[in-house]
Amino acid sequence: MNAPNSFIFQAVVRLIFFLINIFAVYLLQRGHNWPGGGFIAGLATAISLILLSLGIGLKSLHRIMKIDPARIAFTGLTIAVLIGVAPVLFGHAFLEHFSVHFQSPILGEVHIGTALLFDSGVYLVVVGIAAKIIFVLAKSTQGLGGLVREEQRRYSSVRERPIEEDAPDEQMEPESRERKQ
Amino acid sequence: MNWTIAPTILPILTALICLVWGQPRRARRVLVAASATLQLAVALFLVVKTYGGEAFVVGLGNWSSGLGIILVIDLLSAIMIALSTLIALASIIYGYFEMSRKVEHPLRLPLVQFLVAGINLSFSTGDLFNLFVAFEIMLIASYALLTLEADDWDIKHAFPYFAINLVGSTLFICGAGMAYALFGSLNFAEISVRAAEMSADPRVLALALLFLVIFGIKAGLFPLYFWLPNSYPTLPAPLAALYAGMLTKVGVYVLLRFFGTVMPHDLHFAHQLLAWLAGATMLLAVIGAISRNFIRGILSFHILSQIGFMVLAIGFFTPLSIAASIFYIVHHIVVKASLFLIGGVALCLNRSDNLNRMGNLWRDFPFLGILFLCQALSLAGLPPLSGFWGKYLIVVAGLDQQAYVLVGISIIASVLTLFSMLKIWNAAFWHTSDEVTVASGDKRARPMTAVVAVLASISLFIGLGAELFFSISKKAAEQTLDQSRYIELVRSYPGKGTGDR
Repeated sequence: MNAPNSFIFQAVVRLIFFLINIFAVYLLQRGHNWPGGGFIAGLATAISLILLSLGIGLKSLHRIMKIDPARIAFTGLTIAVLIGVAPVLFGHAFLEHFSVHFQSPILGEVHIGTALLFDSGVYLVVVGIAAKIIFVLAKSTQGLGGLVREEQRRYSSVRERPIEEDAPDEQMEPESRERKQ
Repeated sequence: MNWTIAPTILPILTALICLVWGQPRRARRVLVAASATLQLAVALFLVVKTYGGEAFVVGLGNWSSGLGIILVIDLLSAIMIALSTLIALASIIYGYFEMSRKVEHPLRLPLVQFLVAGINLSFSTGDLFNLFVAFEIMLIASYALLTLEADDWDIKHAFPYFAINLVGSTLFICGAGMAYALFGSLNFAEISVRAAEMSADPRVLALALLFLVIFGIKAGLFPLYFWLPNSYPTLPAPLAALYAGMLTKVGVYVLLRFFGTVMPHDLHFAHQLLAWLAGATMLLAVIGAISRNFIRGILSFHILSQIGFMVLAIGFFTPLSIAASIFYIVHHIVVKASLFLIGGVALCLNRSDNLNRMGNLWRDFPFLGILFLCQALSLAGLPPLSGFWGKYLIVVAGLDQQAYVLVGISIIASVLTLFSMLKIWNAAFWHTSDEVTVASGDKRARPMTAVVAVLASISLFIGLGAELFFSISKKAAEQTLDQSRYIELVRSYPGKGTGDR
């Protein structure tokens, strides 16, 4: 999609992109004790990415991001799973979290724990998956390839269309119904 | 070390390593096979331990039952996990032989592992909302696998699967919300305590019926099964075996768990309804199977018909019939998966699984024919194969209840099953014709048949050692129906906040 030819829209989108992401970070850290957390923050960031793609166009966004959103999701999933598994190795329950609470000179009271790391993992998963789904759909409507090369389909099995369509069998040549291998 | 989480977390870790490793290569295949074997070993270990009366309980994040999510593995869960890991292993190995690394889709193995993780989590969870999450993991992986190699035509047939499961998920989350409003908890044990106190309340029955619909969609009960017979045949054989073996059985397991462990046992209306729906499912689905003319289509309809038998046994709702249902699940998963794999070998040899264009297989590959006969007759229920014992137990349980009509339907369905199996046998194996060629030079056929042979021998073992397997099923049924034991197990978990309930 090319960017719309409107300076006001582009300028506002760039501003809002940052505002939404600041709000997302707020939601992320709030999730420890109040409603919020990685999932909803990830959705907020994904929305900001969609807005940005409307403002500057998918091609430019792709140039800026450089990285396939699926990889972001993968990184997040790895972080989340490792944070979940790590306590098991030390004899604790799966997903058990630990936190410290202390006074620091500048920030005041600080309460920080492994739950935040786990939530960040969830955040990255949601951002990656939501962005990937939406970009694939958006690109496919514009004739751009939404999938990276490894994700293109390939046929691994000998397959034949297994379900009879309306046309009876005899009218079709067997060869024409066979798939390429 | 607590093993409860292992069946879920091992596949996830394997999938993550596969994703890092990107492209299909030999080392990656070996790693996944090794991990699948390890998962099977862990599952068998869990079966042995839980058969000895132990149970595995863990609270995620070490929270106690009123506060956090509890995972519980008792004998029934352990049996189901063992079956899912067994079928996953067979499907993975079969897939290796079926396709070379050059054509393997890089996302296939990770997605299979995510699917197994979702299935195992649904078997081990003790929390209604966590069950929803497990279903979502399983379903999203299954959507992706279903369309991984699909063209537009396949996607058209896969779409009903996607649509009906979205509806099911939506209903599920509504049902979970209502359950929380009604009982004040989503924990299975807590729900069963509170539901027992208010069993006269009509809302409990209404909620039970809502969940019957939700899990009925997953299991493929009449009249909610239309999505299955057209979508499963679009899958390649090894994946079809995994789907056919496990996915609908998750629905049956959840029905067992929900009506056996969670809900009060006096919901006679719901049980009656289950039994009659099951009767309708088995009869209509087997008629559907006869109408099809290609192997995967016939087998897909048979999944539904067999689901009918398991659910019928749940509907009778006696300790014997629950045990019969569990025995039937064990028998069915192995037989069904191996039949799909045999269909895959036949497809590979004849280059088609349309019965009009098949033939000569008995002449050229008699061993495959023997395997097929064993499994098909077992599915139909001929002694001494495993299916006979399953059906026999269900019929005995039904006669105890004087449900003569339902027993009659189940026997008619068995005869029709035999008929449609003979249809495959006649057309694909017995039929000789010069027009049909058998690709005898195809090197893949032999190792693929070997995988099937292993599954078939397991199935034969279930038939010949029915006594042993029935005693395991009986014990699993006792544990499933013993609500007070389940509640005690969950409540005694020493997590954080135990005293605050």
